[in-house]
Amino acid sequence: MILTGQEISNQVKKGMIKISPFNEAQITTNSYDLRLGNQILRYKSDVLDPKVKQDYEMFSIPAEGLILPQGSFHLGTTFEKVGSDHFVPILHAKSGTARQGLFVHVTADLIDIGSYGNLTLQLYATLPVKIYPGMSIAQVTFWQPLGEIKLYSGKYQGSEGPRASEIYRDFK
Amino acid sequence: MILTGSAIQKAVQCGDIVISKFDDSQVNPNSYNYHLGPVLKVFDHFDGEKAVFRPEVIPDTGYLLKPGQMYLGNTKEVIGSRKYAMSLIGRSSVGRLGLFLQVSANLGHTTSEHQWTLELVAAKPILLYAGMRIGQVSFWTNLGQIKPFSSTYAHFNEAHEAVL
Repeated sequence: MILTGQEISNQVKKGMIKISPFNEAQITTNSYDLRLGNQILRYKSDVLDPKVKQDYEMFSIPAEGLILPQGSFHLGTTFEKVGSDHFVPILHAKSGTARQGLFVHVTADLIDIGSYGNLTLQLYATLPVKIYPGMSIAQVTFWQPLGEIKLYSGKYQGSEGPRASEIYRDFK
Repeated sequence: MILTGSAIQKAVQCGDIVISKFDDSQVNPNSYNYHLGPVLKVFDHFDGEKAVFRPEVIPDTGYLLKPGQMYLGNTKEVIGSRKYAMSLIGRSSVGRLGLFLQVSANLGHTTSEHQWTLELVAAKPILLYAGMRIGQVSFWTNLGQIKPFSSTYAHFNEAHEAVL
């Protein structure tokens, strides 16, 4: 079952869902709206080899906005830190974001129970799109699990800002 | 409801979920990791009606996906369930490299059980290796009577193009 916005608000107050900072105005009917943090990550290599730790540059989105070129791929971050030890979060674009041709994730919308931190956004622009720090870009839903809960303790735990892939660790 | 990792393990033990080969170390808090099979299907030409693909074995040095076109792959594991519905997606470590796994059709129907075909689209050029840990599958409880429809793709284990 998916939580309603009112239930997300209730669970935040009970400490069962962690959203920081939390603002009641960002509650929607079935989700919580997430804003874009100001850091952006761009891989330097033209070809991404999962076996290799990737070099990247990190920079801030200027207040006057940043144009993501058509076909470009960047990692962004939510301004909020999000997580729950009791519900499964799933990340989605705001429909207004998607209607501009911007993906906020390309495949991995499912978040592990027990993870907490800034969510890394996989920003893939199918059209030129301008982004601003603090814009309402994504939303998170919360889903009820069935079964004994074992909390996430993986490599992306406690993320601050966009986190590059660490898949190269699989190949060691 | 979505099954936790512990619930997935129990369901595998009692046969409500089939994952072959199953490995406890690939259980996540609310999903299970799957691996990439050894063969891709690569777009060859358009015959006027549909795309025609050719199989290519992924070399040890990796297979380079070019952006802007779709490739088909498959899961190394047989995955299915007669009791739960499934959602099959990529791992976040793969999404962070800009690789789409399943372009929009992530839903696996209850009762299907096979090696899944993967739709792979790269946002940036990326190398893929056979057997790499590439995605995750989650399991969801159903509400209502399960009545399987005749399936088109559920019997294929190799990467399979659209049947038109």
